[in-house]
Amino acid sequence: MVKMRTEKTASSYSSTGPQQRLDKFINQSENRTCADCGSPDPKWASLNLGAFICIKCSGAHRSLGVHISKVLSVKLDQWSHEQVSSLVDLGGNSMVNMKYEACIPGNLTKPNPDSSVAERLEFIRRKYELLQFSSCDEAIIPCPFPAGYTKCAQKTQRSSVSSALPSPSTCHQNSNLSEKPATKTRIGHAVRSSWVKKELEHKSSKTKAAQAGMVEFVGLIKVNIVRGMNLAIRDMLTSDPYVIISIGQQSVKTRVIRNNLNPVWNECLMLSIPDDVPPLKVLVYDKDAFKSDDFMGEGEIDIQPLLSTARANEKSGMADSMLLRKWVASEENALVKNSVISLVDGKVKQDVTLRLQKVETGEIDIELECVPLSQ
Amino acid sequence: MGIVFTRLFSSLFGNREARILVLGLDNAGKTTILYRLQMGEVVSTIPTIGFNVETVQYNNIKFQVWDLGGQTSIRPYWRCYFPNTQAIIYVVDSSDTDRLVIAKDEFHAILEEEELKGAVVLIFANKQDLPGALDAAAITEALELHKIKSRQWSIFKTSAIKGEGLFEGLDWLSNTLKSGGG
Repeated sequence: MVKMRTEKTASSYSSTGPQQRLDKFINQSENRTCADCGSPDPKWASLNLGAFICIKCSGAHRSLGVHISKVLSVKLDQWSHEQVSSLVDLGGNSMVNMKYEACIPGNLTKPNPDSSVAERLEFIRRKYELLQFSSCDEAIIPCPFPAGYTKCAQKTQRSSVSSALPSPSTCHQNSNLSEKPATKTRIGHAVRSSWVKKELEHKSSKTKAAQAGMVEFVGLIKVNIVRGMNLAIRDMLTSDPYVIISIGQQSVKTRVIRNNLNPVWNECLMLSIPDDVPPLKVLVYDKDAFKSDDFMGEGEIDIQPLLSTARANEKSGMADSMLLRKWVASEENALVKNSVISLVDGKVKQDVTLRLQKVETGEIDIELECVPLSQ
Repeated sequence: MGIVFTRLFSSLFGNREARILVLGLDNAGKTTILYRLQMGEVVSTIPTIGFNVETVQYNNIKFQVWDLGGQTSIRPYWRCYFPNTQAIIYVVDSSDTDRLVIAKDEFHAILEEEELKGAVVLIFANKQDLPGALDAAAITEALELHKIKSRQWSIFKTSAIKGEGLFEGLDWLSNTLKSGGG
């Protein structure tokens, strides 16, 4: 399913792949914290600036446009040797900050891991787009107030944009940025907070609300619904089953397979894992055309062990295939057969056969793969 | 049978539903477009880990819009979402000229998918507000849109940040879907 791109391996790198070279570089101590806000374990990189950054700062980098910063994911993008080399050549986070923060005013507070979106965006724009901290040129008037004082900073920003950068990029810059709480937590929401054109006066209270409404994701789970076995009969002689899987607020479903108690879906679905790591819920239903669908059983998988195994593996960086963890099937855990977490081609996977609950009969075969993205 | 009835009923009363996938490379502006359409606001986004899904009611069509993450290792998972899709909105960062070839390759790979054979295609040449953004003609050429056979498509210049072009595109989409395309 996942297309593996064949890398043209330069002779000098013949022993290590680009991903391994990248992992080695990101593990240097200077690259272990976000270049902009100091969050631990950044998983994103600006290819042209050479900075390793956290996901929140990566959002600010992306909003500047690729002419300022080209953001790639360390984990979710496939890197070429050329890309890794150009990143390594830029020297890592210390070099980046020596360059772009050479003359940072002493009274300016850098964003921290808890900073708001607006604070990050303002700092990152001033640092990389307006280059306000990279030269000690007197033409750039340092902001007399700390970064938290947005109104002043934006004024400075706007005036220097008009003089130094008469580019259309100014329209990316909404005046009077402030936080709007992302209060709605509907299905499938990725982490987001919003900024809209509103007055600044409610800033402090709104910032709090925005953070409360934000859902942090710690990774991806890829779920392959393989098949169902001996499922319950809900129509005359058979059923039209489909599966819904959900984690927290998100849910996705498979297609309906008509008239089949042993359906083979082999359908891969993907969900994001919120940071409280709720269990993966599995619901099976019978599709009915004229009335509401009939329940055909449910199950629950605790994905915490899979996630923690994947995280531990990420740190150890093992690439060989091996067995990492095992659960023995019993009446209590609803497992039909032993479930194992294994490492296959550097990917942490778990195979589960669930006995469906609250139903007379039925089992479901599921394959899980976890991609941790802790920041 | 039930589906036929529902479709007939909805089309008679002008209340149709359509499943739309928003696809494109990472950082093309997919999530910003989704929330601009849904909330009418510019939200600040971070990379989409997985997907977002929202309902957008427009021109008597209830669009269920799926915005899927664009990073390379997530792209193979797009196809999980292909079945029953009436339209694709393909978003291109018009200022990211270095990656237009990749954008083109991914686009044509999508068009070859059997499950998307009947889907109409709307292309958004996004980020027109950025310096160096190519216009619709240049994007048409870069994506080799002339190669599209037996499928309805259209391209619009957009700026999700300014809110330009998006609803013009959605107008085209709803008219095309109502006239039987997709």
